[in-house]
Amino acid sequence: MASALRAAILGHVRVPVVSSGSKLLTPLWIRSMSSHDDHLEKSQVIDRVLDIVKSFPKVDPSKVTSEVHFQKDLGLDSLDNVEIIMAIEEEFKLEIPDKEADKIDSCALAIEYVYNHPMAS
Amino acid sequence: MGASRAQKLSGIQKQVLSLYRRFLRTAHSKTPENRAHIESLVSAEFRKNSQLIDRKNFLHVEYLLRRGKKQLDQLKTVDSVRLSSSNVELPDTERQ
Repeated sequence: MASALRAAILGHVRVPVVSSGSKLLTPLWIRSMSSHDDHLEKSQVIDRVLDIVKSFPKVDPSKVTSEVHFQKDLGLDSLDNVEIIMAIEEEFKLEIPDKEADKIDSCALAIEYVYNHPMAS
Repeated sequence: MGASRAQKLSGIQKQVLSLYRRFLRTAHSKTPENRAHIESLVSAEFRKNSQLIDRKNFLHVEYLLRRGKKQLDQLKTVDSVRLSSSNVELPDTERQ
């Protein structure tokens, strides 16, 4: 009996969900993730991408230019390709979806992708 | 996979690369020393299989994909050091 009453009352009680914390936090979070005001320079992107590729263990750094194809020119395989793209993600604090990542097979495409990515930092 | 250069990837190859990527992402969430350990184990395993198994042996590749997905789920939850060392001892009898 008491429990039925309790259930009936609880069923009608509505507690308004007010989380002042999230109201305050959301705009700050969005602002901190926006990099439009300090978007990366192309030359910076090129340098950083080339540095990553050059520091890849299997790569001969002297062969690396912004035009090289990872597999044709540097003799890497598709697993290496994944590792390089992951290193680029980490460097620029991005997460590149599979579909895009599979297409990036050269320095030129990597540079293009990062440069055009609004969140790259 | 190692021998073929810059060819268009087949669906199953994309799945393998996606799994590899997910392993590496999961490794990123671990402590630095565990991460390095997991990365070297995962990388060695994928590379070994890429040499060992013909890329048209879909049955075997699909089997390894399923097994890899299970191991990935474990890696995400379980204490990584213990799991990663159990990764090494993949019984050869399981191979077809």
